[in-house]
Amino acid sequence: MNKRGRDTGDGLFRRAEELIEVALQLPRGMSDQEVEGLLHLLPRDTSRSMRALLSSRFREVSLDFIAMIGGWIREARRAREEGRKVVLVPFNFPPEIIYLFRNAVPLTSEVLTTLGVSMLEGQGERYWDYAMGLGIPDFLCSSSTIELGSVLTGRDFEPDIIVQSAPGACDANSKIHEFVSLHMGIPQVILEKPTDSGPRGKELHRRYFLGFIRRLEEMIGEELKEERMREVLEEANRAAELYYELYDLRKFSPCPVPNIFSLFTYGARFTRWGRPEGTRMMQSLVDHSKRRLETGEYPAPEEVARCMWLYIGYYFDFLGFFNWMEERGITYLNDILSLCQPRFVDTSSRESMLEGLAESCFEYPMTRQMGASSMSLAWIEDMCGFIRDLRADCAIYSGHHACKQTWSIINQVRQEILKRTGVPVLCLQGDSWIRRMTPTSVLQEEIESFVENVVRRRRRRIGSSA
Amino acid sequence: MDEVLSTARELIPSRLREWKESGGHVVGFTCVATPRELFDAAGILPYRVRALGKPERDRADAHLSRFNCGFCRACLQLALEGAYDFLDGLVETNGCDHLRGMFENWQEAVNPGFFHYLKVPHLVTEESLEFFAEELELLRESLSNHFQVEIGDAALSEAVKSANSRRERMRRLFSLRERENPALTGQEALAVLLLESSLPPAAFDDLLENLLQEAEGREIGGYRARLLLAGSATDEPDLVREVEDLGGLVVTDALCYGTRAFWKLPEVEGEPVHALAEAYLRHLLCPRMFDDYPSRLQFILQAAERARVDGAVLVYNKFCDLHGVENVRLRLDLEERGIPVLVLEKEYGSTADLGRIRTRIQAFLERIGGRGGFRKHASSAGLGNL
Repeated sequence: MNKRGRDTGDGLFRRAEELIEVALQLPRGMSDQEVEGLLHLLPRDTSRSMRALLSSRFREVSLDFIAMIGGWIREARRAREEGRKVVLVPFNFPPEIIYLFRNAVPLTSEVLTTLGVSMLEGQGERYWDYAMGLGIPDFLCSSSTIELGSVLTGRDFEPDIIVQSAPGACDANSKIHEFVSLHMGIPQVILEKPTDSGPRGKELHRRYFLGFIRRLEEMIGEELKEERMREVLEEANRAAELYYELYDLRKFSPCPVPNIFSLFTYGARFTRWGRPEGTRMMQSLVDHSKRRLETGEYPAPEEVARCMWLYIGYYFDFLGFFNWMEERGITYLNDILSLCQPRFVDTSSRESMLEGLAESCFEYPMTRQMGASSMSLAWIEDMCGFIRDLRADCAIYSGHHACKQTWSIINQVRQEILKRTGVPVLCLQGDSWIRRMTPTSVLQEEIESFVENVVRRRRRRIGSSA
Repeated sequence: MDEVLSTARELIPSRLREWKESGGHVVGFTCVATPRELFDAAGILPYRVRALGKPERDRADAHLSRFNCGFCRACLQLALEGAYDFLDGLVETNGCDHLRGMFENWQEAVNPGFFHYLKVPHLVTEESLEFFAEELELLRESLSNHFQVEIGDAALSEAVKSANSRRERMRRLFSLRERENPALTGQEALAVLLLESSLPPAAFDDLLENLLQEAEGREIGGYRARLLLAGSATDEPDLVREVEDLGGLVVTDALCYGTRAFWKLPEVEGEPVHALAEAYLRHLLCPRMFDDYPSRLQFILQAAERARVDGAVLVYNKFCDLHGVENVRLRLDLEERGIPVLVLEKEYGSTADLGRIRTRIQAFLERIGGRGGFRKHASSAGLGNL
């Protein structure tokens, strides 16, 4: 139901909500036969995503994930009914900041887009098309424009406040959020990231952050309480501990962490961090991976490639992407989002907590790299570090077409990574949320050919010289 | 005026060449947030990097990508070809994601000698103004150290005074363009501004004086409609000529290389660095600034009213997120106020795109023709080809 009281049901949020409500009814311990029967009842696009999620290899963890996302959606609905504020945040903003307020809940644009693209028949295309119809250029980022396109229809769940935290880090993201705010008359509150990674930039950002919090307090109508802050941030710290445990598990070969867990990790980070639901999700990811490590379970005869995704993945076909790679022994080690490296916040005082949160914002994935003084430097250094630490033997850049920052420096990044680590980089090209641009089959062909012709040969060469 | 047009098409006008030959330094910049006064005070010529519609970008594309703005790719192409070797340095600004990519690759591929990154905030607040003033101090220090020149407050105040006076005269000249019988075309106006950021100050001041005298008695006639041209990095007088050849006289603009660069800048007064920070950041009429859309809309509405336009053309280079999105909102707001709008996405510098652009302009002029009517103005110096 939007603020104007209509409940038309054809917006992304509402349609996804209906499907999630059904998914929440799925029982635990389903057999493969039962899953197969269920998949036949679903529309084609929904069925394909559910087939990926309900793979017998990690079915119960996927149900945990569905439960977490379902709870997040329900909470937003309930908050609206109870008169609490629904705050639309972008992916590069820690949601635990909104959880510090009793009277507000976060909804993350990019997570809603991913949810819509993966769950809805026709994916998110109708909302994208609506935005294009308004005149929004087709080179904008689908990650936010699909969800915001749905908001722009005026027939969907409308947030009460829009948070913007990409000025300085991403023009496309900042402008579409600003546009929706102006077009729909939804107030926005902005947190700028100075493109200065030095002490002056950090200090300016800290001051911006404190002003941003004051503004949020005014808009939500609630002053932050130290006790509540501590409760939320201690929970976030617990989730961070589990995050690093999962990170360490990825160092084993063959990798015991299923490919799709990268998505689940940032699904938790971007929606439920600071809440017990997020911690439980991380616990579930760790437990499952540990079990796989103990049993030596791996979905392919051998791990043929340990692949670092330098940027993001593709989200319009989980089955043809995460599961497909895993079944061929291609490990999706991490990407820039799952490498969010959450900070442990010092909860000793209100000030220390605010300082910690400011730092979390400053070091958030993509903000940290593309919003730095140099767009390439931090990205190169981070990725080289992770490649070495996780013993990756290849890297892939997904080449999401809207990401002009990374496109403008990928050649430098590719060369530096090769030079510093010896790891070859494949550059793909496509839209991560829209299948029209580069279909799965083309991506698969390119990945397969890269692994066969470059990675395997390199492994053989290194093996023989050793 | 013919000389102005031909000189503006040169990357290195003869007066700039003379400046270099006599040992003068030239530093490139791209963004209007860069106060030229700091360079003037140092005796350094600030040169606004341009591509003048260059269509080739094969070498640049080995660094940038086809998803980057053609203007930035064309500028980088020129740098890689050595066309910008005359620059003694470069000042980067975080104007947009594409520009940042261009600078990173430029710095990596071609040693620009002096390189400084001027970080411009995206919001105007007490904190950001303070930060920007520090940034200007750092730029002053950096220029001073590299070029071994003293940039004292007295010299800076002198440069500020000169720039104030130049801007005042430019506003006078550009007002003549907006009057009932315009004194210069949009193509000419853009050419004047390109010269402002490529000629030595004294040479430009002389030119400006002459132009003011010449323009007083000049009248352009024979056009179909009075247009406002707004949008992204448009340093192509030839593109404006295309519009004007079809009968749409560009009587005012809100272009990054146009009036946005100087029109609203107030008289800079007081302690020079803080005053410059205040003036430049507060009047940065660019969609890269957030929480400031009303000022940009107001600027365009005021220009449209002053120049009594029949329609507005909102132009942007393909892949420009900032203007691409901004133009959607502007179109809605201008149309709501009765100003017909054409939103024109274009591939920078592409001659292959010209046919499509002409068709769209023609159709737009047809559309607004009934409203503004075919204007027949008595002309003493008409646009020959209209």
